[in-house]
Amino acid sequence: MSAGSAALSVDQRGTAILPGWLRKTARLLLGLVIAALVWEGAVRLLGIKPYYLPRLSAILAAMAATPRAYVDGFLRTLAETLIGFAAGGAFGVLIGIAFFRLRALREMIFPIFVVSQTIPVIAFGALVVLWFGNTLLAKAVIAFYLTFFQVTVNTLLGLETVDPKQVALMKSFGASPHQLLLRLQLPTALPHIFVALRLASSLSLVGAIVGEWFGDTTGLGVLLLQAMYTENVVGLWGALLASALLGTGFYAVIAAAERRLVFWGAEQ
Amino acid sequence: MNVATLASPPLAVQRGVLGAILLVLCWEGLARGLHLPSYILPAVSDILAGVWFKRALLGEAAGYTLLEALVGYSLGCLIGIVLAVAITMLPALRGVILPAATAINSVPVVGYSPLILLWFGIGVASKIVMVAMAVSFTVFLSTLAGLDRVDRRAVDLMRGFGAGRLGILWRLRLPTALPLLLSGMRVSTVRSVIVAIVTEMLGAYGGLGWVIYQAVLQIDFVQVWSAIFVASAASLSFFGLIGFLERKILFWT
Repeated sequence: MSAGSAALSVDQRGTAILPGWLRKTARLLLGLVIAALVWEGAVRLLGIKPYYLPRLSAILAAMAATPRAYVDGFLRTLAETLIGFAAGGAFGVLIGIAFFRLRALREMIFPIFVVSQTIPVIAFGALVVLWFGNTLLAKAVIAFYLTFFQVTVNTLLGLETVDPKQVALMKSFGASPHQLLLRLQLPTALPHIFVALRLASSLSLVGAIVGEWFGDTTGLGVLLLQAMYTENVVGLWGALLASALLGTGFYAVIAAAERRLVFWGAEQ
Repeated sequence: MNVATLASPPLAVQRGVLGAILLVLCWEGLARGLHLPSYILPAVSDILAGVWFKRALLGEAAGYTLLEALVGYSLGCLIGIVLAVAITMLPALRGVILPAATAINSVPVVGYSPLILLWFGIGVASKIVMVAMAVSFTVFLSTLAGLDRVDRRAVDLMRGFGAGRLGILWRLRLPTALPLLLSGMRVSTVRSVIVAIVTEMLGAYGGLGWVIYQAVLQIDFVQVWSAIFVASAASLSFFGLIGFLERKILFWT
């Protein structure tokens, strides 16, 4: 309840002084508090068995009882996700540019990329863990594998939307291919690339979690699996909440970066 | 993409085939030339031989997985479309369904696998539920985007001629939404097979995921790769089937 009233007072001040992001944050907090109350109330009033849906307070209490496991798992999974995401994003953009410049390369390799995406991650996961050992790197590789394709496709799409007349104009002023890329083509493709990065942010988390299922000792995926084997539904929901926090947090950061970098807001 | 390949079929197809052949040759050469052990990388020929040798087992497993994927996929599409149409017909529901769907989707879908396995057991039901969950959200979002794309003036025109909500939905909104809806359905095909396999690996009585898991435990990596090949072929044919239906239904594009 105290969280609710705090959110309300922030809301009132927010409208007076800072109408922008503070009010949005306050509304978000209010939404979260309402959702939490509905969850807690529904479970109590409808008498839902803890086996299906435990009370939120029970889950939070369980998380508070062993914070170490959740914090360690959160940080470990975050590291795997970030490394895979960064590598996948960079590789995707580079390959997208290469495909854009070299049509032959694109026609030779692109179909293979498409087929590679139909391979179930988890089957691949067993092999990657074998190749790279049971390390942080192996999970990052799986996250990378899930991420790069989307970024490649959207980079290519974005580069192809560049207006040929603008290219002709810049060329007539003697722009080098390098300048053309940095000043015109990449900025034009940026909105498309960010759409892919937002998608990739959740995909890289999936990769990290699934990768951890092949045997590890820390991580949110490990917590999920351990809770399943011990039929510990409260722990399972705790791990789910932690992954939701990680997933939405990461997505929000990418979306914020998008608003900052693509300030002209070409898409959405 | 389609337009580009249609415009210049011979060269693009040639290069695609060339790329595939080069990949297979490099793979085969690397595996044979360096005598890589099968747990690192088996040769393509060995894998294809493995597929042929274990065709009964792999065929049965693929059938099992495809059944789960198909049933879950149909259910998921149905749920996604019905929810999106319900929101359009009753705008009051939007404020409830949209935040709920976003909240559920904030956890990566495979995160739910352990929970769904506990709830529904390790039989077919849990895989169907997982696939339906994964598919319904994508289809829901793309259908909603499609239904919202309708031209305001076209709605007003139809109202002016006395069309009811159902009439507008059936004759205007659904046809307008169809391209986006079908592309959402096409993208979800590959996902449905992957999610079925992922869930099978955590616990199942059969299916490709189960075969892969057993093969990993027995350190039989030729069989892992064989199952991967079969899984990839199954997803591609499912994808192709829906793509084919899409072109048939969208005859006007």
